[in-house]
Amino acid sequence: MAAPHDVRVSSLMNQTLVETVADRLRAIVGTEHVITHPDRLVAYESDGLTAYRVAPRAVVLPETTDQVSKVLSVLHGEGVDVIPRGAGTGLSGGALPTPDGVIVGTARMNRILSIDTKNRLATVQPGLINARLTEATAPYGLYYAPDPSSQSACTLGGNVAENSGGPHCLKYGVTARYVTGLTVVMADGEVVRLGGAGREVAGDLDLVGLFVGSEGCFGIATEIEVRLLPIAEGIRTLLGIFDSMEAAGHAVTDIMASGLMPAAVEIVDHATIVAVEASVFAAGYPTDAGAALVIEFDGTEAGLDADADRAEQCCLAAGAREVRRATSEEERLGLWKGRKKAFGAMGRIAPDLLVQDATVPRTRLPEVLARIAKIGDEYDLKIANVFHAGDGNLHPNILFDRQNPDELDRVEKASREIMELCVSVGGTITGEHGVGVDKRGYMPLVHNAVELEMLRRVRWVFDPHGNLNPGKVVP
Amino acid sequence: MTLLERFRGAVSGVAAHDSFEAVGRLALGEPPSLTASPRSVEDVAAVMGWAAEERLGVLPLGRGSEVRPVADGPFIVLETSGLSGIDEYQPADLTITAGAGATFASVDDALRENGQWAPFDPPRARQRSMGGFVSTADHSPLWAGYGALKNHVLGATVVTGDGRILRLGGKVVKNVAGYDLLRPVVGGRGRLGVVASVCLRAFPVPAEERVLVVKGDSALDLIERALAVGVAPVLPVSIVVAGPLMTLEGRSAMVLRLHGAGSTVDADQATIEQHLGSSSDVFDGASGTAQSLLEEIRDFGGREACRVELSVLPSRVGEVLRAAGAAGLRSLVIDTYAGRIRAAADRLDPTDVDALRLAAEEAGGALRVLDWAGSDRPSDTPCRAAEVRLSERLVSIFDPGGVLWPTRS
Repeated sequence: MAAPHDVRVSSLMNQTLVETVADRLRAIVGTEHVITHPDRLVAYESDGLTAYRVAPRAVVLPETTDQVSKVLSVLHGEGVDVIPRGAGTGLSGGALPTPDGVIVGTARMNRILSIDTKNRLATVQPGLINARLTEATAPYGLYYAPDPSSQSACTLGGNVAENSGGPHCLKYGVTARYVTGLTVVMADGEVVRLGGAGREVAGDLDLVGLFVGSEGCFGIATEIEVRLLPIAEGIRTLLGIFDSMEAAGHAVTDIMASGLMPAAVEIVDHATIVAVEASVFAAGYPTDAGAALVIEFDGTEAGLDADADRAEQCCLAAGAREVRRATSEEERLGLWKGRKKAFGAMGRIAPDLLVQDATVPRTRLPEVLARIAKIGDEYDLKIANVFHAGDGNLHPNILFDRQNPDELDRVEKASREIMELCVSVGGTITGEHGVGVDKRGYMPLVHNAVELEMLRRVRWVFDPHGNLNPGKVVP
Repeated sequence: MTLLERFRGAVSGVAAHDSFEAVGRLALGEPPSLTASPRSVEDVAAVMGWAAEERLGVLPLGRGSEVRPVADGPFIVLETSGLSGIDEYQPADLTITAGAGATFASVDDALRENGQWAPFDPPRARQRSMGGFVSTADHSPLWAGYGALKNHVLGATVVTGDGRILRLGGKVVKNVAGYDLLRPVVGGRGRLGVVASVCLRAFPVPAEERVLVVKGDSALDLIERALAVGVAPVLPVSIVVAGPLMTLEGRSAMVLRLHGAGSTVDADQATIEQHLGSSSDVFDGASGTAQSLLEEIRDFGGREACRVELSVLPSRVGEVLRAAGAAGLRSLVIDTYAGRIRAAADRLDPTDVDALRLAAEEAGGALRVLDWAGSDRPSDTPCRAAEVRLSERLVSIFDPGGVLWPTRS
């Protein structure tokens, strides 16, 4: 983690200026949609990375592109920091306020603007919750593929900002693959349109692809055009129980090498299983197991049993003590439960939880996991692993108590060692959570000075004055 | 002191010459002032830095398969054939890294030895260099099943116009460590830098490929049926209407490709034929007829002097095709799922192409001229003003001296 005091302190707005600006914002969005009372600002002090907390000066909740444009125009004119925020579920501090900044929240921009079934497209506002889109398109046999674990709460705007992934991105790819066009409000309030389905041959540079994953530093996307996929005819879900993480890792390698293309391959380790089974989310995983492997296939019904059979053989050959197969949707949800509820379960056994995120080449997973365990021992920390094994995306979860300064210090040191380890084997510091403030300090591990300077300059292309989400991404 | 002598004095260890036989075949217009052949990324950076100081344009040259330069000042050729190795291949990780000068064929061959492949099939794919392949990122008929190339380029080493080396992305599928500068490089036609090496995601070779062919008298006749396949419950990996096709004795056809295990492909074929209400001619993907057909579709328009490419929403393809017919463009390949149309003819009236462009734009689409015989080349659909402004700002920081010479394809 980067030290909290690294967060940039912007122009110091005095109280008079705050009220002047707030009045102008109220004139744009309505009095009830501008929050300045300290008691109500507490809810906006942090996002999912609760180790950092900074109260903003105000929160403004626009409803339309035009309102966002006018709001940003006012804030830009006053030189005020703007912190875009969706649902605040991000895990890297991407929506952390600056002390003098104003949060522009997208909570009221939660409408589906169009569903175009002929072209399998939807256009949505940024505050739409991810899962709502698939609920709305399912009657047409369509769905939106990226499925972050927080999909029942996180927003499409946040997904665009973070280029979010999810368990099924192994087969279907991350958010950038599905965003075809954007309406963006720039830092000074200018409204621009980038890309759009049907316009692919106009222009050389993929500005939509560059915008996705820019963590709120390039502009605020107010309309998002996404591609939808047909809902698969069938699904098969398996749960492999292993005595060791190493054996589960071998099973994953064998499955991927066999030519199978699972939709998802997820692993939870022994510590996670114990935590889940001790919680209200108990899923029936054996508590003496070293690892549990969830494998899912989707596609044409006719071929799914054969795929599931081959995956089961891979698991058994790698030493699985048991392979369970769901025979109903209820059973499928049961097999997934231990994976999906892992974070919630861990939150109940320690006061604080640091959800780490890194990616390594899949073949390096067993070695990396063994070394993460040693790092945990070395710093006397409990680390539970949940990860997207198919694409090498690790989530080591460090359990701690922030009231214990010594333990907090050890958490920070262990986190850095884990990041250094992942980079040393050819991986990277974040696979899907983004850099935010949490990973800024690690950016020199993966980018040299020339590359960091280039990142800074590219940011200035979109936001020359640096008012949009300052203090994020680039150290 | 000649330019070649100045180069040798400033850039040690990089082969160069000022004879032009090697590049004469490219019909560059004016000959290059010098040809340099770097053998490493650092060499490329040294050449770029020197060219920037000398204020010389730089034309990166892989296999020359897609280069259509227009000379507007002194320039040098930067041959990437010295960067032709496969630098790293981890079959178990499904990733492969190759130099810019490696042919796509060499990469594909290496993958296939391990039961893997890169599922992209743009024009003349096997002859092309990896640098050119990534810089142009042309549309692939396999788009419906595998998506665009930009989703599968995991990393690239790029040298900017002033010789800075940027290692963008990495070797892992999921990577959000900073803004994704790789995205505008892929398909950026060299505007942001010289691609020196590329890391691609590989895929398992499907157990079976089956090709379904429904013949018709014209592409227009088949388009509604192809659009119907696009919204069927089963999605083929490729949905193309093309014609006239020599392989089919001048007839047009809807060509569908199915990938998967035998039982899956059987079921998919049955679903699609039920959806269409008719059977189709069926070929094994490895058969001579299928290979010939797929090659003709992939390399479509290679013999004609004029080629244009359009993009439009799939539901608007029909109306744009009617405009194409009115413009005399009867030789067509249409990816109906993506809404991408390529059209070719030996000679076209620029007024007709302008009318086609307007038809595409009225349908929310765009047109780009790929090849044109003569000096009366029609206009492409312009970018929006804001996109132009942002793109030019990006280019200015990647290429402050303006030496990069984007190729056309």
